Amino acid sequence: MIKFFGIISALAVLSIAGGCAVPPKMYYWGDYSKSVYACRKDGTDEQLIKHKQVLETIIEESQQHNCRVPPGVYAELGYIYFRQNKNDDAIRFFDLEAKTYPEAGILMERLTQAAKAKGQEK
Amino acid sequence: MNRSRFVFCMSFLLLFSINACAPKMAMKGERFPLMYEEQPASILILPPMNESTAADAKDYYSTTIEEPLSFWGYYVFPYEVTTEILKMEGIYDAELLASTPLAKFREYFGADAVLFTTINKWDLAYLVLAATLTVSIDCELKSTKSDRILWKYNGTVVVDLSGGNTGGGLAGLIVKAIITAAASAAADYVPHAKVANYRALSSMPYGHYHDAHLKDQKQQFIDQTPQQ
Repeated sequence: MIKFFGIISALAVLSIAGGCAVPPKMYYWGDYSKSVYACRKDGTDEQLIKHKQVLETIIEESQQHNCRVPPGVYAELGYIYFRQNKNDDAIRFFDLEAKTYPEAGILMERLTQAAKAKGQEK
Repeated sequence: MNRSRFVFCMSFLLLFSINACAPKMAMKGERFPLMYEEQPASILILPPMNESTAADAKDYYSTTIEEPLSFWGYYVFPYEVTTEILKMEGIYDAELLASTPLAKFREYFGADAVLFTTINKWDLAYLVLAATLTVSIDCELKSTKSDRILWKYNGTVVVDLSGGNTGGGLAGLIVKAIITAAASAAADYVPHAKVANYRALSSMPYGHYHDAHLKDQKQQFIDQTPQQ
């Protein structure tokens, strides 16, 4: 029985690790890792725009397949807007993260306050 | 008499050698009971400490750890955002991170647990027809409520970079050699780093977004932790 579960879980891990079998079971992460890595190595605006598109694709694909958007994706997109001084967009995405994951509440509230303060400075 | 003694000795030896060779198995529930007691829901990944000779190891690790942790059923704080905040707060340095009271991470981020990682080895080996990536890491998941170590991993993962068998005799071997060379030249280790992280996490009990949450106590894993 244990062996059986072992095999099943090994298969599950394999299917996850082996790139998304359609439709995604739990989360759709798309090209996230590669894109973040590229951003670290090449901090240009061009790379950031590409990364933003990757994040937006993750959100769209997740919604299409009725999956929860993976943890942190809304927040990261919000943070990109925050740095671009698009504070209303930032707050919208921080809010989406907190609504999807209550665990993020404290941090999202902190970031929302920061975005509001920045918005008033202008 | 002599013969039976010989058989006895041999069987004893055999048993001993089997014991030494067989991987040590452990059960999640017995090995990491605090994970089931505290049931952390959210994990903050701290910037890893890199003790390996590969300068890139830190970036490879940190860009490929969120995805597997999320599939394990945990809320994972966005590393790009939290690292930026830690930098602004002036606690980016590994020593400062280690000396920061864990309760601070709870207060500031709302994290139930914090993941500390040290990368000991990140070695690429090129053989004639194959390439391997050997990753050796120490991880500790610490509770921000009780300061206790909830889960840990000390181990080595070897990932084959040359991919599957291309088959077909000598021609196949040549093709494989070319593929290996091309794979190494492209230096795209992101997928391999991810595989290493998936394997390292295999002993971690599942979090509450996973169907097997609190049902995997009896699941076995190969215990790589050295005896203490």
